[in-house]
Amino acid sequence: MRKEVKALMCTVGGGPDIGAIEGLATKEYECLDCKNKFKGMGRRVSCPSCRSKNVKQIQ
Amino acid sequence: MNLSLKGDEVAYLRGHSATLALAKALGRPFYLETSIEEVVLFTEEDDLIVASAFGIGEKIERALKCTIYQIREMEVPLIVLPKGHPASPRLKTVVSIGPKTRLCCSIHAGTHPEQDVLCCTEELEGLEVLATPEGASVEGFFGEVVVIKL
Repeated sequence: MRKEVKALMCTVGGGPDIGAIEGLATKEYECLDCKNKFKGMGRRVSCPSCRSKNVKQIQ
Repeated sequence: MNLSLKGDEVAYLRGHSATLALAKALGRPFYLETSIEEVVLFTEEDDLIVASAFGIGEKIERALKCTIYQIREMEVPLIVLPKGHPASPRLKTVVSIGPKTRLCCSIHAGTHPEQDVLCCTEELEGLEVLATPEGASVEGFFGEVVVIKL
């Protein structure tokens, strides 16, 4: 059973503000194929630029 | 209640004052954007997209379906507005993506980005949606459920 929670909260009409994603537990990755650097959450990480799964966590 | 849900389907949970739409995330990435950065949400095959809107009827259901289609199939990014942005009150739907979503009408919307909660009307308070390999397990809902092609 997976424990990780990856839910995203947006907002709805009525005046609330959308949550600050600065507080999310993101990790930084670098794609070893195209050198793209990106922030992500979750386990099945792939490069959002070239779709390669050949990525490494850098932070 | 166990719901069978295929990858090309959407389930509507029709309440008296609100509607939920469920669809599989299919392991797709979802993009959260602020004015300064992008965060990619990587999902599992069986994770669920749960979209909620106040209101019922065809217009609401089409809007929910459209929201799910855009963020999953078109990879349309979710724009995170800064606090106090004038567009915030204009947004009509809320979206949660993950293995579990709880509906709660007492949270301060938008302030819980890491929690598995989604705001709703009182009618759906306490409802829980769990992702399963077959689709979804829904606790606390006794209304009409309709599954159609996305």
